[in-house]
Amino acid sequence: MVPFILRRLVTILGVLIAASYLFYILAANAGDPLEDLRASSQRNREQLIENRTAQLDLNVAPPIRYFYWAGGVSKCFVGKCDLGEDWVSGQQVTSMIPHAMQSTIKLVLIALVLAIVIGVSIGVISALRQYSGFDYGVTLAAFFMFSLPSFWVAVLLKQWGAIGFNDFLAEPHFPILALALIGAALGVVGGSAAGGAWKRRLSAGGLVGAGAAVLLYSLDKGGWFLDPRLGPVVIGVLGAGIAVLVTFLATGLSNKRALYSALTVAAAATIAWFPLQQAFRFSAGAAVIGTGLGFVVLAGVIGRLFGGPDWRISVRTSALTGGLAYLLIFLDFAMSWWQRYADSGAINGRPIATVGSVTPQLADSGFWVGTVDTYTHMVLPVTALVLISLASYTRYARASLLEVMNLDYIRTARAKGLPERAVITRHAFRNALIPLATIIPLDLAGLFGGAVITETVFGWNGMGRLFIEALRHVSVNVLMGYFLVTALLLLIGNIVADVLYAVLDPRIRVDA
Amino acid sequence: MKLGMLAKGAALAAVASVALSACTAETGIVENSSLTVAWNQPLFSFNANTSSGNATANAVILYMTQDWFNYYDDQQNLLKNEKFGKYELVSQDPLVVKYTLNKDITWSDGVKVDDADLLLHWGALSGNLNDPDADPQYDEETGVIIPSDAVYFDSVAIGGGIEQITQQPETGDDFRSVTLKYDQVLVDWELIFSGNMMPAHVVGTLALGIDDPQKAKDAVVAAITDKDQVALVKIANVWNTSFDLTAMPEDPSLVIGTGAYAVTDFVQDEYITLKARGAEYKAGPQPKVESITVRWIPDALASVQALANGEVSITLPQATSDVLAAAQALDGVTVVNQPGATYEHIDLVFNKEGGAFNPATYGGDEDTAKVVRQAFLTAINVNEVLDKLIKPLQPNAAWDQSQVFLPGAPGYDEAVAGNGSEVYGQGDAAAAKEMLESVDITEPIDVCFLFSSTNTRRANEYQLYAEQIAPAGFNLVDCSDPGWGALLGSGTYDASLFGWQSTSTAVTASDATFRSTGGNNFTGYANPEVDALYDQLKVEFDPAKQKSILGQIDKLLWDDAYGMTVFQFPEIMVHDAALTNVSSSPLSPNFFWNFWEWEAPSAKASA
Repeated sequence: MVPFILRRLVTILGVLIAASYLFYILAANAGDPLEDLRASSQRNREQLIENRTAQLDLNVAPPIRYFYWAGGVSKCFVGKCDLGEDWVSGQQVTSMIPHAMQSTIKLVLIALVLAIVIGVSIGVISALRQYSGFDYGVTLAAFFMFSLPSFWVAVLLKQWGAIGFNDFLAEPHFPILALALIGAALGVVGGSAAGGAWKRRLSAGGLVGAGAAVLLYSLDKGGWFLDPRLGPVVIGVLGAGIAVLVTFLATGLSNKRALYSALTVAAAATIAWFPLQQAFRFSAGAAVIGTGLGFVVLAGVIGRLFGGPDWRISVRTSALTGGLAYLLIFLDFAMSWWQRYADSGAINGRPIATVGSVTPQLADSGFWVGTVDTYTHMVLPVTALVLISLASYTRYARASLLEVMNLDYIRTARAKGLPERAVITRHAFRNALIPLATIIPLDLAGLFGGAVITETVFGWNGMGRLFIEALRHVSVNVLMGYFLVTALLLLIGNIVADVLYAVLDPRIRVDA
Repeated sequence: MKLGMLAKGAALAAVASVALSACTAETGIVENSSLTVAWNQPLFSFNANTSSGNATANAVILYMTQDWFNYYDDQQNLLKNEKFGKYELVSQDPLVVKYTLNKDITWSDGVKVDDADLLLHWGALSGNLNDPDADPQYDEETGVIIPSDAVYFDSVAIGGGIEQITQQPETGDDFRSVTLKYDQVLVDWELIFSGNMMPAHVVGTLALGIDDPQKAKDAVVAAITDKDQVALVKIANVWNTSFDLTAMPEDPSLVIGTGAYAVTDFVQDEYITLKARGAEYKAGPQPKVESITVRWIPDALASVQALANGEVSITLPQATSDVLAAAQALDGVTVVNQPGATYEHIDLVFNKEGGAFNPATYGGDEDTAKVVRQAFLTAINVNEVLDKLIKPLQPNAAWDQSQVFLPGAPGYDEAVAGNGSEVYGQGDAAAAKEMLESVDITEPIDVCFLFSSTNTRRANEYQLYAEQIAPAGFNLVDCSDPGWGALLGSGTYDASLFGWQSTSTAVTASDATFRSTGGNNFTGYANPEVDALYDQLKVEFDPAKQKSILGQIDKLLWDDAYGMTVFQFPEIMVHDAALTNVSSSPLSPNFFWNFWEWEAPSAKASA
């Protein structure tokens, strides 16, 4: 394995040098950095052109100018990276890239995690319901969203998700017809996902649809959209639901110890809601996360106390339940700030933002307002990114699970009498994830390149926007800095994917 | 629904301003009023006088934090800011101008503005303190100016006339005035000594390590007076680079200014927040809005949607038909279409070897070449271009008919009335054909047409022009090039299409373009009469006579069929209708020009 990695690292260097040379030539020919001066009628235009030509070495041909740039980069080996300066703003590229990367990671990482979780879940369900209405429906929807141009999705999301929703919040009332339509739509989805006999589908669909409609109606009547809260009762009910779901997926409901320990954790979360109301008020950032970790550990201890021969399963189940329940409490407390946030002068009753990552007037308003503000700015760009990248994960998960389900060892597992749940979660699903595990490192590396269009449309200052602005001004140093970072990460992601595959799948050997 | 909300906001503002007027009568600033406006590029330097810092993105913010003796209004009139100080023409030849600051003008850190600041401004801008041997070294790998051992102020103004003040200005009037003596007569004297002035005490503190503001100032003045090379090197290096900032610096003295607003918050690539200085500010008109935030939104449509969502109140998006349609669909906003400061024009080239417009092609027959040029301009139909490409963005667009005045500028109307431009540009291909036949040209003439191949609008223009002039006997050849700018003046094309951007109303600005030896003369145009008129203009101080001379030049240019001005780039400004007194100006700082008159709805107290 080690020689393989070393060999690949050497190859990376070669690829990087060759590619950067090519990219430099392309970048240097992407436009004319003197364009603004050429059309200028300033009296000292000639002088300005001369200055900038000297500053950017424009009288040196790009194939040679590359080596000036490469000289600065080679200083990276002695720890003094010099990627040059952006001529437009005079900033060092080495300081621009971390800044841009930070906001890109914030945005795209969340979108990636959500896309993977939702995409894989949908993919698994549609594989299990192969050739059903749900399967076809999901396939159609996934491809529809995949093929949408992202600038269009982004603009529409702003129009409806921000401007429309904010208008709605001025008078938050659903007409009966809208409730009926929403209920019917959700009912169809729920019913088709449940699968099985028509009776089962109808009852599941009816339950989901009617439930959703009644819920929305009561939230509407109770003014929930203006002052949302969950409260201890809802947290208790949802916590219990999470406990059952987690136990079902992890061990099966027949494992009573695990089930009871998870339910105990849910009850503990409900009780913890009361003291946390005070604690949250005076804590921020690290303290909130620390308390959360503490709660997860506590949940683990509860699982351990239930004991039994396979206590590890109980610990895992309870800890996961504890983490999710804590998230609910966190969400609930953040919600308690919603009305104050929305009614503040800077927001003026229009909380969902279309642009940027922060409301300037609320920049120093503390952790909780800051959290709500971040969410109102992130919800739309994250939605746009998730919608578009959902499709590929759905398709990968579906195809991969279907392939595994037809293998012999699944038949063997079924033949020895394992329940279907154990066959799917323990034998099929885990192996189906192997191909995904090799895609994710590459996606992760690719996401550092940023989402050019989404970032531009939502005014998010990430890598994508850095690239597009640099290209507009033909700021070659910035373009090269961007290229260097993204190319390097992509090449490393490639190696990681190869190695990961070998680690996960014993049939593959990399040092062959 | 949007309209209702805005109407409520306006009503609230009215009530609030009445209620608050009692307690804020002193300054007129409406308490708790705030306004957020969009701009497309972030501020990156608080010194817009350096060659890298010279950008509109910096100028628009600095306009609110830095005052000066004069400014442009939205009609391109240069107005004096008497509250800052006064300037007077002491003598025309030799040119001597005296600038005097008012008393009690302070920087936002409380230090007085005085002659040290003016002296440093001259020293840095003029480049006359620079070591003549200083060869500005830009780092080969990085392009950063290397802090050098020789004095070098990286001034963007050198070449604009200020370098003619070679003697150190005299100071006086209780440290409030400087008297500038120019070595050459320059009629644009009002525009030469300008820019945003840097605080001498801050420069002194940073460069020379003197903490006391007065001593720091004295040290800067001493360094300039004594030509102290060691100190000047440090001062120049601080002046060149220390004010390049992309976020709020730890040292707040780097962002101080003389203007109505002071910077309170500055987040990289996101926004900058300015707060009115209040009663301590005396250097200009007092603004009404307490806090102005500028958010940086590069995407045009995004800024319009942000306006629709109430996140910003004014935006100047890049004009496209999508953006205009989106803005017009909104309720409660005002859309202002107006022409900008860049104008599109066609230049005909006189010195291309064998070129269609070169007299040498016709055996040195000037008249034949002139008829060919006139025929070309007669066949072109500017109205079609305006109707198809510009009016969809700006319904009131009109043909720009002057080579030397921007439409709307003082002097434009008089010049157009007498310059004879109206015989051209009406698409009369038949008349053009007759003109060509009158000089015995019957074969189609190839005209190599240079324009930017990456610019869609110009490609569309080319299509229209080619169709318009084909019946007259011209074959417009597509000579577009992505590197068109570098080809200007190379004499390899017959006609070019690009835009000139006006940055000021300097009367001699067109000198470089139309004088036979001018630096921007890319066409080889040489008319001794025009040269003589520019010589006259250079020493003419009377504005009325200046306009008359420029009018004569304009007429000669049209008579010679120099080329064709076509249209001004359309601009779209959109603002919340509840805001009053917002108007757009074609010159920088654009809609910020009268920020002190803006009246914003007063916001509720924030959470």
